[in-house]
Amino acid sequence: MKHLPKHLQPRWRYLAVGLEAWPDASIDRRGFQRECWYAGQNLLGDPGSARADLTVVRFDFTDGVGEAIVRVRRGETEPARAAIACIDAVDGAPVGIRVRGISGTIRAAEENYLGRRGQVTEERNVVFGNEERVAVLRNGSADVRLDEAFAGATDLDYDLA
Amino acid sequence: MYEAVHAHPDGESTVARFAKTAADYGYEGVVVRNHSDARGSYEPERIREEYEIDVVRGVEVRADDPHGASGAVGNYRTDETVVAVEGGTNALNRFAVENEKVDVLAAPIAGNGDVNHVLAKAAVENGVRFEFDLSDVLRTHGGRRVRHVQSLRKLEEIVDYYDAPYVVSADPSSHLELRTPRELLALGEEIGLSSEFIEEGLREWGRLAERNRRIDSESFIEPGVERGRYEEES
Repeated sequence: MKHLPKHLQPRWRYLAVGLEAWPDASIDRRGFQRECWYAGQNLLGDPGSARADLTVVRFDFTDGVGEAIVRVRRGETEPARAAIACIDAVDGAPVGIRVRGISGTIRAAEENYLGRRGQVTEERNVVFGNEERVAVLRNGSADVRLDEAFAGATDLDYDLA
Repeated sequence: MYEAVHAHPDGESTVARFAKTAADYGYEGVVVRNHSDARGSYEPERIREEYEIDVVRGVEVRADDPHGASGAVGNYRTDETVVAVEGGTNALNRFAVENEKVDVLAAPIAGNGDVNHVLAKAAVENGVRFEFDLSDVLRTHGGRRVRHVQSLRKLEEIVDYYDAPYVVSADPSSHLELRTPRELLALGEEIGLSSEFIEEGLREWGRLAERNRRIDSESFIEPGVERGRYEEES
């Protein structure tokens, strides 16, 4: 890639994105990048998605939660935000997604908005809706495994078995 | 700003999980509008205290015809703060806007439903809010989304002209389907609904809940007549 003098280099904004899914979901960077570009193209069209860029520059996803940094051209952050909001699933796994913040550098985005995880997940047997179930607990939330799907719950909703 | 949600067993997440996520996302409250055939039990006060977010009891009446809906609206009106009717057919849309016991006509443009000037005028008269349901914009694509965006814009033009009341919702049925207010505002701008318009629609749920709670409270007798503070007879 040819380098440009600094005043001609594109100005980027970095969107710190938080991801959440059911505990059995596995999402990789490639799948997330594909969904970002699809969402951009579908909502903003080809010219709009070319303007926005939407390149995934950092990605991390384990145990049903993850975070990513998405690169966007300065001035296109709101269309990019709208496109990212329209990602409802990655590789068929439903995801919750939110933009936690926007920074001018990757480092600032990481320091200010990411890396707050460090939460331990644990599996426990719980009583949910009068039946004994297995739940994945994290930080006050509980994803309860039902027969074929999960139910999203919190500490208020179950009793320990 | 408030979001109106379908919680377990109607949706996949419990009211508490919705409240926890919504508080994290910056909402001031959630309106629980489970369909009338999938109600659940929950304790609004306990959830409100735990997550410091308002939890409003509500229902979304689902019926095949106006006759069935009419009975259900009457039953739920006394217990629930917000009563919505699921639209989607012309008969149900018309029933909802002509009934002043109804607060919200949910998803009026889904399915075969349509809205015109007659319904808009009736909605203004009876204070029934049209719902702008963003779920199909968020969670579908292609032709279906195109048609949905077209219907939303048509509805916006009618609502704007008659100054009809409205609410906006992403219609989530799990905490994963919630989106932050800022995301919804940005999405609105992309599909031709201004961010001010979306924000007003999200706030309207809160105003509606506040108004209905005041009407339901014991001190309220009728419009303009409320029980004040009087000296006790000794």
